[in-house]
Amino acid sequence: MSGAVVTARGLRTEIGGTAILRGVDLDVAPGEVVGIIGPSGGGKTTLLRALNYLTPFTDGVVDVAGHRLTPGMSERGDAAALRQVRMKVGMIFQQFNLFPHLTALQNITEAPRRVLKLDTAVAAQRAQVLLARVGLSGFADAMPRTLSGGQQQRVAIARALAMEPLALLLDEPTSALDPQLAGEVVGVVKDLAASGQTMIIVSHDLQVIRRVAQRVIVVAAGLVVEHGAAAEVLASPEHTMTQQLLCGVS
Amino acid sequence: MSRSLARLVLCLLLAPIVATPTMALDNSLTRVRQAGVLRWGGDLQGGEPYAFEDPNQGGRLVGFEVEIADALARQLGVRAEFVQNDWSTLIPSLERGNFDIAMNGIEVTPARQERLTFSKPYFRFREVLVVRRDQGAVHGLADLAGRPVGTLASSQAFDLLRGAAVDVRVYEGTEEPYLDLEQGRLDGVLLDNVIAERYGLRHADLQAAAEIADGVYAIGLRRDDIELRRAIDTGLDKLRQSGELRRILETWKLWDARQEQAAELPTAAAIPVPASINGAHVLLFLRGALVTMAISLLAMLVAVGGGLGLSLARRYGGRVSALMAQVYIELFRGTPVLLQLYVLYYGLAPWLTLSAFTAAVIGLGMNYAAYEAELYRAGLEAIPIGQTEAALALGMSRPQALRRIVLPQALRVALPGIANDFIALLKDSSLVSVISVVELTKQMTITSVDVRSWALPGLLCAMFYLAMSYPLSRLAQRLETRLHGGAA
Repeated sequence: MSGAVVTARGLRTEIGGTAILRGVDLDVAPGEVVGIIGPSGGGKTTLLRALNYLTPFTDGVVDVAGHRLTPGMSERGDAAALRQVRMKVGMIFQQFNLFPHLTALQNITEAPRRVLKLDTAVAAQRAQVLLARVGLSGFADAMPRTLSGGQQQRVAIARALAMEPLALLLDEPTSALDPQLAGEVVGVVKDLAASGQTMIIVSHDLQVIRRVAQRVIVVAAGLVVEHGAAAEVLASPEHTMTQQLLCGVS
Repeated sequence: MSRSLARLVLCLLLAPIVATPTMALDNSLTRVRQAGVLRWGGDLQGGEPYAFEDPNQGGRLVGFEVEIADALARQLGVRAEFVQNDWSTLIPSLERGNFDIAMNGIEVTPARQERLTFSKPYFRFREVLVVRRDQGAVHGLADLAGRPVGTLASSQAFDLLRGAAVDVRVYEGTEEPYLDLEQGRLDGVLLDNVIAERYGLRHADLQAAAEIADGVYAIGLRRDDIELRRAIDTGLDKLRQSGELRRILETWKLWDARQEQAAELPTAAAIPVPASINGAHVLLFLRGALVTMAISLLAMLVAVGGGLGLSLARRYGGRVSALMAQVYIELFRGTPVLLQLYVLYYGLAPWLTLSAFTAAVIGLGMNYAAYEAELYRAGLEAIPIGQTEAALALGMSRPQALRRIVLPQALRVALPGIANDFIALLKDSSLVSVISVVELTKQMTITSVDVRSWALPGLLCAMFYLAMSYPLSRLAQRLETRLHGGAA
């Protein structure tokens, strides 16, 4: 699909001989927010991590902003190609994964300084703007351990945004947070969506998906079982798996 | 560590024994006769011709002192029983009653005469200065002014050298000083003729340059064992008169014209010895402490650098380098550091002539690198994989992720362990005295001979070690607290 930021075709992965993804296609257009839902163990996180090759795939192809990921690439041998993709795709983790030995500001400036070779002062200036954008002005010098989970996740979002990614991959961004703190994070994600940031978000929390996603795909047992506009899929699911999800049965 | 610790404990334990003279009635001869054995202390490591294991018949002891001891025991109507004891601690062991007499090439020196009572001499020796043949004209110590000259610790030659204007190097074995002389690490070795002939002059490129002084070997006894000493003197006289002593010495190719006149002990105070610890000693201790600190610091640098390389090779290297790192770690952790120092300093000398200080730094550093490597590996393993993933997901390279994100955290985890290792290294550095470096512990053993007591030098030595290690241990505690308070 021309014009897509992220395209995946026929993705297959396996762990220890067990197939996790069994041939998944995905297209994400610029400015689009795609939600991935599905039962636990169905492969939704694996799909997300395959998009920046944190989880290698055994078959298929991923195109991100003109760069191609193929099966059998290695962290060592294809380091340069992998970095090209990862520079353009930010990632948010369920456990935040802030660097605990760096301040909030340093967490944000580290990659721009080392990867984009940005001047320290310029990087710091941009980081301050991003901190303000996620509602954390004044927390520049805070160490991660002194921040709440919600604050940490918002720093993590600012950290990913500092690389000016074409797309943002969010892996269960609110699952480690209580509802109030999750609300802060969802607020930030909504603002990003409104500003036209392309995002792919994996969550088992349908409220989060309902609030931010324009389009939804349902992944179960390693396959896309249903996809469509968020409002439609969530309102009148066709696949039994989706129906079960919405009823909270699965 | 165990060795220096043992020395400290020893000197603290000995303090009261050394300080208070035994008041017991002198029944030393009766005691030996009742027991039916004359227990004599010596060190088999002294080797041929003193007392050593028969190379042709394992377990059997031979040597001219073995024969003298057997002959003396016969005179007393008992049998002789050898007690193995490290040479450097023969006198304290005698004092605490491990054996009845000490006989192992013990030279009669003023310091020892003040501490022990000696029998009549059984051998007269000469102090022989050995040099390399290529050194040209050396006729005495005056020609070696300022040059390194080796000898054994607490020997008469050591006292002689300290009185001369040479750079004295102290060894613990008879073979090593001559090896270093051959390698050019020394310009002379002063030891008695028995050792010089057997261990020095058999090297083709070494020669005797001069005979510096005379001295005698005698049997050492506890100060109060006068009765036993008299009996031994009588026995020695009989051995001499009957010609048996001559026969024994001839068997071991030790007889010469001088032995005829060896009957009396020299009068004491040939060399003045300071009686108590003074400012000069404290300065020597300070110098020893500086050597200890310098060796430890430099060795720790080697260890940290090497350990980092090893741990990274093991965790991130290819199969070959990971295997090599593992072999290195097992090899250096699994063998004594003392052996490693010997191999590095003496074993490699024909190809790589390191100075004693350099060998000490590299040897300790390479040994500790193995321990550091395991510490850092544990540190690396403690960092969650999510940290690396987050760094990679931002487009950082693997080396960047390692250097900027994982390593700083891993080292923080390892820091208390590093501080603890440094304290251990500080104490292990006393081992390098075997390769002739005079550091703090060695200085203590030298001074304790001078002042004839372990108590004060031991206390002073302990204080210097504590002054260096206590701040470090406080630092380690602080780091640990910060680590546990910190990592959320």
